[in-house]
Amino acid sequence: MSYALIVAEVRRGVFEERNLDSVGLAALLGKETVLFVPEGPYQIPEKIADTIVRAKTAEETFLNPLNLTKMLEQIFAGRGKPDYLIFTQSSSGMECAPYSAGFFGLPVITDVSAYDKDKGIFYKSYYSDKVFGEFKPAGGAAVVLTVRSGSFKECAAERSVAAKIEELSGIAETEGRVFIEYVEEEKSDIDITKADFLLSVGRGIGNKDEIPAYEDLANKLKAVLSGSRPVIDKMWLPKPRQVGTSGKTVKPKVYLAMGISGAFQHIAGMKDSDCIIAVNKDTEAPIFQYAHFGIIADIHKVRDKLKEIVNG
Amino acid sequence: MNILVFTKRVAATQEEELRIRDEGAAVDLSKVPFKINDWDNYSVEEAVRIVEKEGGTVTAISIGDAESDEVLRRAIAMGAKDGFLIESDAVMHDPGARSRLILNFIKKENVPFDVIFTGVQSEDDQFGCVGGILGAILGLPYSSMVIGIDAIEKDHMIIRRELEGGLQERVKLAVPCVLSIQSGINEPRYVSIMGIRKASKVERKVFKAADYPAENAPGIEIVRWTYPAKKGGATMLAGELDVMCGQLLGILKEKGVYQ
Ligand SMILES: Cc1cc2nc3c(=O)[nH]c(=O)nc-3n(C[C@H](O)[C@H](O)[C@H](O)COP(=O)(O)OP(=O)(O)OC[C@H]3O[C@@H](n4cnc5c(N)ncnc54)[C@H](O)[C@@H]3O)c2cc1C
Repeated sequence: MSYALIVAEVRRGVFEERNLDSVGLAALLGKETVLFVPEGPYQIPEKIADTIVRAKTAEETFLNPLNLTKMLEQIFAGRGKPDYLIFTQSSSGMECAPYSAGFFGLPVITDVSAYDKDKGIFYKSYYSDKVFGEFKPAGGAAVVLTVRSGSFKECAAERSVAAKIEELSGIAETEGRVFIEYVEEEKSDIDITKADFLLSVGRGIGNKDEIPAYEDLANKLKAVLSGSRPVIDKMWLPKPRQVGTSGKTVKPKVYLAMGISGAFQHIAGMKDSDCIIAVNKDTEAPIFQYAHFGIIADIHKVRDKLKEIVNG
Repeated sequence: MNILVFTKRVAATQEEELRIRDEGAAVDLSKVPFKINDWDNYSVEEAVRIVEKEGGTVTAISIGDAESDEVLRRAIAMGAKDGFLIESDAVMHDPGARSRLILNFIKKENVPFDVIFTGVQSEDDQFGCVGGILGAILGLPYSSMVIGIDAIEKDHMIIRRELEGGLQERVKLAVPCVLSIQSGINEPRYVSIMGIRKASKVERKVFKAADYPAENAPGIEIVRWTYPAKKGGATMLAGELDVMCGQLLGILKEKGVYQ
């Protein structure tokens, strides 16, 4: 049978919104959609799939590549292999998709952000969105995909009837990889999600010694200082100041990004800001595609000039 | 504990203008500088720290052209004992093909290991797949987005992996296993030019990718390269620096965040 199988993500009892991007891509692909979910008391929009298969297992055991591939094997035994096995480009998707591809001997294309139906081509980012590769599975074979969040949500059309519900039981849990517990982020005095004005710095600042000068600018502008992931990875700023998918999602009135290229994991965390201003020396930096205003210049010079004007 | 760590030499394109050549057939990297993949820098460091504490060896392995010897020297300067280059002049875009090459190499050369490290992804292609596929075809437990290793025992490890929004999960994994290491797990040591020069004296072994042919598993093909679709984009402020900065402050005032 010809179908697309979506492995949905449920985290802490919430059916993640990014699943709708997988649903949207499945709709574009024009296949019968089977949504595979773990057990739990969460809500799923009932009309987003043709069939919903509920695994009789909790979210923590479900999003475990070792358990998941065994469950998929059970599903495939009943329905045959799907034409498309779809995950989201997220922590668990990035773990389970390649593992499933290896396990079932299927090809894989990750971080898919567009699909050309006529040509059967998937668009995948290379070099942090500076170039895109047009890929297809060789010989039109079945393929594993991960979907960039925000890319296909609008294509997720409601069906006229609620999905058929099926149950998958008799699930064997592996000893090879066992969930122990969730670990919360350390608490912080500063909550960047509450700020009206964020001055956010990226790897472009060059080194840690530059931080005080940006802190000073932030203070003068009454902005709160935040950063992209590399700035936090290098411990130039503390983790609670990170903007992006693996950090905080922020929606300030103004987001001033200095020396940030605009990787999708960063964009996903700030794209709903009222006003985005980007300063970068690279005219091709992807962030200019999402910003409302842009300045092409050396950030240190902009920083020093702003301070000079503000100091009067 | 014997750790194999995969390290890749990638184009540093963050500040470069990229041009597509030959009607989409290739991306011109001839003027672009190359460097170690950022994620691999963290995974080499993590592997070296583990053997410094627990004993064992780190072997750095790279797939690529002869220039990739550079990242092996760097890994040795950081503390790896050996460097293996699996030489392949053709760029392998399909991560499945790379994983199967690694599998065949490990089997044919009988490379012993307890744990295999890869970076979460490489900066150039951002596939993030080699570790996961390799774990599955080796039949070993796998985890990606590893942001902390809390305990190492003979037959298992306790690790933390990063989820979304600052949340992590703690996981127990049986050893041997494959881990993909997330950036920020540690603070990689500084590597001096002197250190790299010294590392050059350690012999690196070169193998030919063609000697480890993979069976024909279905793959993916690249049709062509394109530029990103323009989304409208930003209003660019123009003029001298003080004019642009004046305009910027004007926008801040208009948005009510600065008086
Ligand atoms: C699972 C996963 C989760 C992730 N989560 C996040 C996340 O939550 N948040 C996040 O931000 N990233 C995240 N990332 C990383 C992301 O993919 C990018 O690597 C990262 O966002 C790049 O940060 P950057 O823009 O600061 O650095 P770069 O991409 O290196 O960009 C630096 C920019 O600075 C510019 N520049 C340099 N010098 C100057 C100068 N003097 N003047 C002006 N401009 C200059 C350059 O032109 C370049 O555009 C994640 C990645 C993965 C795989």
